Amino acid sequence: MVHVFENHGQYYIFDSGSSSLHACDEAAARLLAAREGVSSHLPAGGAPALSAEERADYEADFAELKGQGLLFAPETDARPAKSDKVKALCLHICHDCNLRCKYCFADEGAYHAARQFMSFETAKRAIDFLIEHSGERRVLETDFFGGEPLMNFDVVKQTVLYGKEEAAKRGKKFLFTLTTNGLLLKGEIADFLNEEFENVVLSLDGRPEVHDAVRKTANGRGSFDLCFENIREFVKKRGDKKYYVRGTFTAKNLDFSKDVLFLADCGFASISMEPVVTDIPELAIREEHLPRICEEYDVLCGEYLRRWREGRGFGFFHFDIDLEGGPCLSKRVSACGAGNEYFSVLPNGDIYPCHQFAGDAAFRMGSVYGGELDAALRGRFCTSCLFTRKTCDTCFAKYICSGGCSANNYHFNGDIDQPYAITCAMMKKRVECAMHILAEKKKEQ
Amino acid sequence: MNKIKTIARPAARKVTGCGECRSTCQSACKTSCTVGNQSCERTGRENDPEKNR
Repeated sequence: MVHVFENHGQYYIFDSGSSSLHACDEAAARLLAAREGVSSHLPAGGAPALSAEERADYEADFAELKGQGLLFAPETDARPAKSDKVKALCLHICHDCNLRCKYCFADEGAYHAARQFMSFETAKRAIDFLIEHSGERRVLETDFFGGEPLMNFDVVKQTVLYGKEEAAKRGKKFLFTLTTNGLLLKGEIADFLNEEFENVVLSLDGRPEVHDAVRKTANGRGSFDLCFENIREFVKKRGDKKYYVRGTFTAKNLDFSKDVLFLADCGFASISMEPVVTDIPELAIREEHLPRICEEYDVLCGEYLRRWREGRGFGFFHFDIDLEGGPCLSKRVSACGAGNEYFSVLPNGDIYPCHQFAGDAAFRMGSVYGGELDAALRGRFCTSCLFTRKTCDTCFAKYICSGGCSANNYHFNGDIDQPYAITCAMMKKRVECAMHILAEKKKEQ
Repeated sequence: MNKIKTIARPAARKVTGCGECRSTCQSACKTSCTVGNQSCERTGRENDPEKNR
């Protein structure tokens, strides 16, 4: 699959079969775009007026690249090597929250059920379940999620200590992660997270007025001032350990590049900004927003590069892709792993494919309190991969995206294998920006 | 080549399938299953013994 595109006045050719990126001029891009099987994202314009000699020059370049296996390279059709071992659990340690964010997919923490905290007994069972189902895999991942997990900090702490102890006995190692709104992130809690957690995801939506419009306390106040200093202090003490300040953008702040840059100006070096997942009409991202969103990614891309050139660069999750390294092909075609190598555990011990399916009875797969996992459901998720995703075969970004979020696919299209077109469009744009950034950086290094 | 310059080409695209890589959804954002910014854990451990600890 070959894709030609323009970004910030530069023209590129991306060959997904070989994962190679080439810079070219406009004529080369347009010549390739006219070929069958080539996707393109170019400004309006017709075929270039070239002499026979000029055209022959371009064709010679295309032929040379093809000969090197860097253009029209064959793509893999090897099915991923999926195992029946479990790598990771998302522990819903607290189905309650101290915020009432308007867009919360988790029903403000309750997941459309009674507000509930996970007991240490259930968390222990979950850790035991993961260890028992992990086979020979040494490194295991556990994410503490909610609701707001720090509302149940005692159980978080006990579970981490228990996990470490059990892992040590069996020659394994846990990587703990946690997602928090920052409201309780101070003192002993912050110190413990900085000591024990491999990655912490910190929810901040950006500019105070943007954050406060949707992330509110139970009494309806904006929460920015209550969270921000905690998060900033936490990050200051984090040293070189991993974190993401993670925002959500909605239809209300399609100028979200300003929010990313606000976070960068606050000194955060590792940022992600994700489109909201909601059906609330005034917040939901719709198809008509896409042109504006793509423009916004371009603005962010330009500013990202400008700051990098000035020696004050920052990390943005979606722009930091690695074309020359990265995971193997088997991983790239495996899809997200939910429901097979990764599960969510609810406060009562019930197991679901991932946090986005939590509470949907049709997707209950079992319990950490015993019994087998639902083989049919697991089989459904296990067989799902890039090759079963219905629109991925003609997408240049497929080995970078891996087929999108199963839950989004299901919730918007009723099928985990039917990619959600709006997410796909944003992913493609971000990948193009990331490639432009890579090219510009290489030019100057 | 006159008209085209190669920016990036993978050293060797492996199909190890060893499964040591991190779970995708767990990696950062919980909604965007990008794999392009993940790394190969096996290669990482080979290059950085600290990761084996």
